[in-house]
Amino acid sequence: MKRVKIVAGLLWAFIGLIVIIILFPGLNSFSSSLSRAPFMKLNPRYTGGAVSKQLISERCTLDVRVPVFNGFLKERNTGFVQLDWRGTLPDKICDSIDYDEDGVKDFCIAIDRTEMKTTFESYNVQAKNIIISTPTSYGWAVRIGLLKVPKSKLP
Amino acid sequence: MDNILTIVGMQKSFGKSLLYSLPMFLISFMFLTGGRPDFSNPASGIALMVVFLFVNLLYFLMHYTGKTDRFRAVLFIIFALSLSYTLIHNMLEVRKSMSFNQADILECKIPFCHLVIPMMLLPAAFTKSIIFPGSIIGGFANISAMVVLWLGATLVLGRGFCSWGCFYGGWDDGFSRVRKRRAIKQISDLWKWMPFAVLLMVMLTAALSLTPTYCSWICPFKAVTEFEQVTSVESATKAGIFLSLFGGLVVVLPVMTRKRTQCSFLCPLGAISSLSNKITPFTVKIDKTACTECYKCVEVCPLFALSKEGIKEGEVSLFCSKCGKCIDACPKKAIHYGIRGIPAGTMKNFSRNLFLFVSFLFMAVFSSGPIINTLQGVLKLIF
Repeated sequence: MKRVKIVAGLLWAFIGLIVIIILFPGLNSFSSSLSRAPFMKLNPRYTGGAVSKQLISERCTLDVRVPVFNGFLKERNTGFVQLDWRGTLPDKICDSIDYDEDGVKDFCIAIDRTEMKTTFESYNVQAKNIIISTPTSYGWAVRIGLLKVPKSKLP
Repeated sequence: MDNILTIVGMQKSFGKSLLYSLPMFLISFMFLTGGRPDFSNPASGIALMVVFLFVNLLYFLMHYTGKTDRFRAVLFIIFALSLSYTLIHNMLEVRKSMSFNQADILECKIPFCHLVIPMMLLPAAFTKSIIFPGSIIGGFANISAMVVLWLGATLVLGRGFCSWGCFYGGWDDGFSRVRKRRAIKQISDLWKWMPFAVLLMVMLTAALSLTPTYCSWICPFKAVTEFEQVTSVESATKAGIFLSLFGGLVVVLPVMTRKRTQCSFLCPLGAISSLSNKITPFTVKIDKTACTECYKCVEVCPLFALSKEGIKEGEVSLFCSKCGKCIDACPKKAIHYGIRGIPAGTMKNFSRNLFLFVSFLFMAVFSSGPIINTLQGVLKLIF
């Protein structure tokens, strides 16, 4: 038994040696394999969610993303919708958005890029406030806070 | 006779030390240069060769003198300093600031570090997603590469990662060596369980909020890497916490206690790595027949891994980071690196040689990038 333990210990130590030796040369290959694992994708709270529709104008596009309400075990009552303006943006942006695609505008957002000022007007009780409005490397991004209201309580 | 044999140290002759250093010399040359050193940029070529020779000198000295910790610590501390330099330099070049802003978060451009790993686990299992605004693959400090490196090192070294791979550990290791004597001598070793409480807290809060709460609120190393732009009372409070914890746990307490207090009392990743010590091939063993119970090892252990009761039982606790400080301090060489399954007191030299090769190779290759970058920066400043 003692001899078996010694042999197993030595074998385990040599496997350890091999793991460390191949770890760095194989890092790109191992990490790209790991990146394909089902859990290796960024949470929508960080990416902003998938793009639900794209509004294209002459010099820029506006990506309206899927509203994000995700929580740990179940969806939350509060969330956000992210809007990304890309391309050559005018100094003043003003867009009315129908984020839930019910054919009715939910809010209007106006951005003055020179003054770095964003104003928000809600037409829907579920669209609450501006969480983030910031210039980005690709243009401008805004997150609007959302509140889930049961359909029975909607006006 | 047995005692005489055990008192003989681990030091080797000059020629034998050179021979033992040769595999490290060759393999680190291959890993650092890819077999073809590039001197087209003189500063980077010189920095590469200086780092290569320096790293190998340290490894040679480990064999020649038989001492481990003092040479490990040199590279470990330089690694921590140069990693902070590299990160800060990179951020100043890209963002003109040490702080990141909302756009960096929205564009998922935050460099990932291994301390996030404990907070990733529950959300990855339940939401099938990663709760960190970084890059999954590609780019600087991506999530996949850091997870692979940590997993590989932890599988083989266990908590040895904390002394041979962690690029923050060198900060409190360095400060714990500033004073010759301890100003605070009595610390309850119950505190060593604190990282498990922190681990539980950050895992739960991160899962419930889907944010890496340790990074957002507690991490002391934000003070020497990057932090959220101070734009509100909340972000100012966070900056205050980062600076206070860095000052307290990484600078003042290590200086006063000669212990790595951040690693011992706060780090949640250290708690997870401790658990992996149960399965790793390399351990630290106590030869009870040679031990005279002088407890010098207990006194010098920077992570509260040794206790008088444990020494009497011949046991090293799961908090051991295999730094080698106790091994260097033991006058009878009763405490030594070992391999799981092999009885204490036997195959000491073989176990040490194999462990040193594995652990030092990991640290040498992992640390070489930031150290070369730092040296290049210094060379550019001088010339």
